[in-house]
Parts: sequence; structure tokens; C-alpha cells
Amino acid sequence: MAELHIIGQIIGATGFPQNSLFCKWGVHTGGAWRLLSGLKEGQTQVDMPQTGDMAYWSHPIDLHYTTKGLQGWPKLHLQVWHQDSFGRCQLYGYGYIHVPSSPGQHRLQCVTWRPLGSWQDQLAEMFVGGGPQLRSPDLIYSGADRYRLHTVGMGTVELELCVILRHFDRYGVES
Amino acid sequence: MTSNNPAVFLLMVNGQIEAADFPEYDDLYCKYCFVYGHDWAPTSGLEEGISQITSKGRGSQSLVWNFPLDITFKSTNPFGWPQIVVSVYGPDTFGNDVVRGYGAVHIPFTPGNWLMGRRPEFTDPKVVAQGEGREVTRVRSQGFVTLQFNIVTKDMKKLGYETTSEHSAATGLTRTSQQP
Repeated sequence: MAELHIIGQIIGATGFPQNSLFCKWGVHTGGAWRLLSGLKEGQTQVDMPQTGDMAYWSHPIDLHYTTKGLQGWPKLHLQVWHQDSFGRCQLYGYGYIHVPSSPGQHRLQCVTWRPLGSWQDQLAEMFVGGGPQLRSPDLIYSGADRYRLHTVGMGTVELELCVILRHFDRYGVES
Repeated sequence: MTSNNPAVFLLMVNGQIEAADFPEYDDLYCKYCFVYGHDWAPTSGLEEGISQITSKGRGSQSLVWNFPLDITFKSTNPFGWPQIVVSVYGPDTFGNDVVRGYGAVHIPFTPGNWLMGRRPEFTDPKVVAQGEGREVTRVRSQGFVTLQFNIVTKDMKKLGYETTSEHSAATGLTRTSQQP
């Protein structure tokens, strides 16, 4: 069976309206993949940068998968949230990227988006905060039923991932 | 050195903790240690160390340590790839040493700059290298530390691990050794 190692970190986020951000992340794979070691989801700490615009998390990722097929190549999905000084949390963006399929070190940017409500919702949001959220996080990394959504773009999350493949060449896979 | 059927691969790390950029603090020193998984073991070199205390010069804003790192690991499995945890300390107004920030980064394949800065203090600095348990902390990033790495690996390819793509350009300071 072929093996895949994903080792790296979620570096931080930039381009969001406020700092004081944290990120909930997870990795989704198809049925042929099995996680041998590592945590496939997590949540970073909240970072309030003193200088500059980028919030840094440096959250480590270390995953070891084994697989019987190429379908369902791992996808990393994220939710960026803002925590204010009262401890209230507001969704700032959803995003996902595919884990790179070529071995080596990769610096990645993941764009994020946030659902927009009706104009009444947007007006309320300006005054009291909050906003619509997805009922199920599956929509972050799937294309089905996306056409129902109206969204607005938010900031970018930066990641650095190193991909190590093992025994893929035994099965004739070139990358 | 012939190893036709190696059971372990080696990761040799050279480098330095170059300098720090902390706009608000001066007279800093740093401590480093390596954190790694159960399948890893250091074979030579120092696993932890403390640097000198450095100050900003009159003209420049940079805090230079130029502190050497030299360690070799052996392993059977990339899981638990070593991370370096760096803690920066400096004096407060009363002259006591307080922590100015923490950071952790995986040893890379290509030399990397990385960024850090954290408060508050954890009782065990190795917590910084783990992903679990961070949800309840609020931190403020305050500065940067620059590290340089040169990495050499041995026998990873013989064990079946692909760590570079044939299509990617070779970077100057990374070599994988080819042993007969």
C-alpha cells in the first residue's frame, strides 16, 4: 500500500477586517485512505498581533496516511473565526485547498469566503455582528449545491506543507 | 559506507539561529530544543542550548545571535518529523528574566525563515510544538526570529520515500546524499 506524509504548519492569516483570529481546520479524504498517525482536525490559538497586519498561528500539522487508490486525495479545509474582547466568536471565512500531489515543500495560499445573507441580515450584521454560517461544513470542500450560495471574499490563509510519498512508484503512479 | 538494505534513514541538520526582530524589546537571549516523535532519535549533536545575550547596536535594530545548530537524527518513519522550539527571554523593568515569545517550526527540506512570537508562558515549552490543546489560548505575536538550515538526508530514497519531485528546480542549499 502506498503512504503519504503531510508535514507542515498553518502559518497565519492576512487580509481580514480585524485581527484576533483563530482557525478550525480539518483534513478530508476519500474512502480508500486510512489515517495511521496524527490528528486530522484541530483548532489554533487566537492570535492578536502587536505589530503588522498578519495573524500568526504556526500550528503544526503531521499526518501519516496509507491508501489503496488515488480517488479522494486529501483536502484541507479551514474556518477562520474572529474572537472579540468579550469572547464572542464570529465567522470570518471558509476555505479549502487540496494537499499538493507532488512531493516536496510547498508554500500555499488558501482564499476564503463568507456567506452573505439578505440585505436585512447584512444591515443587522453591521450593528450587532454575527452573520449566516453553513449548516454543514461539507460544503466548504464540495461543489454540489454551491449554486445556492451568495458569498463575499475574505482574507487569505498561508500554509507551508511538505509532502512525502512512499511506494507510489510501485503502483505505477508518477508524480 | 555501504548500506544496501537500510533500516533507518538519517537527517543531518546544520544551521544557526541567526537573529531576532523584536521592536519593543532589547537584551534578549534564546533557548532552543528539539521535539520529535517516538520513531526518531538523535544520534549526534546537541538537543538543546542557550544562546548569549544580545543587544541592539546604536544604529541598527537587529538583535544578532549567530547561534550554531548541529544535530543528526535517525528514524524509520517521517511521522513525528523533528521540530525546533525556540524560546526568547529578556529582562523586565526590574531586571528579572521574562519570556518574550515562543515558536516552533518543523526542520524543513529547504532553508527557511520563520516567524514567531508568543505570550503567555506555558510551563512546558514543548507544548508549543503540539497541535492539541491550543484552542484555549490567546496570544499576541510580537516579533520574529530568523533561522537558517542546511539539510542533508541519507537513505530516504532507499526506503522508498519520495521527498522531491523530479520536475521541481533544485534549491541551492539542499542536497540529498547518494551513497553507493
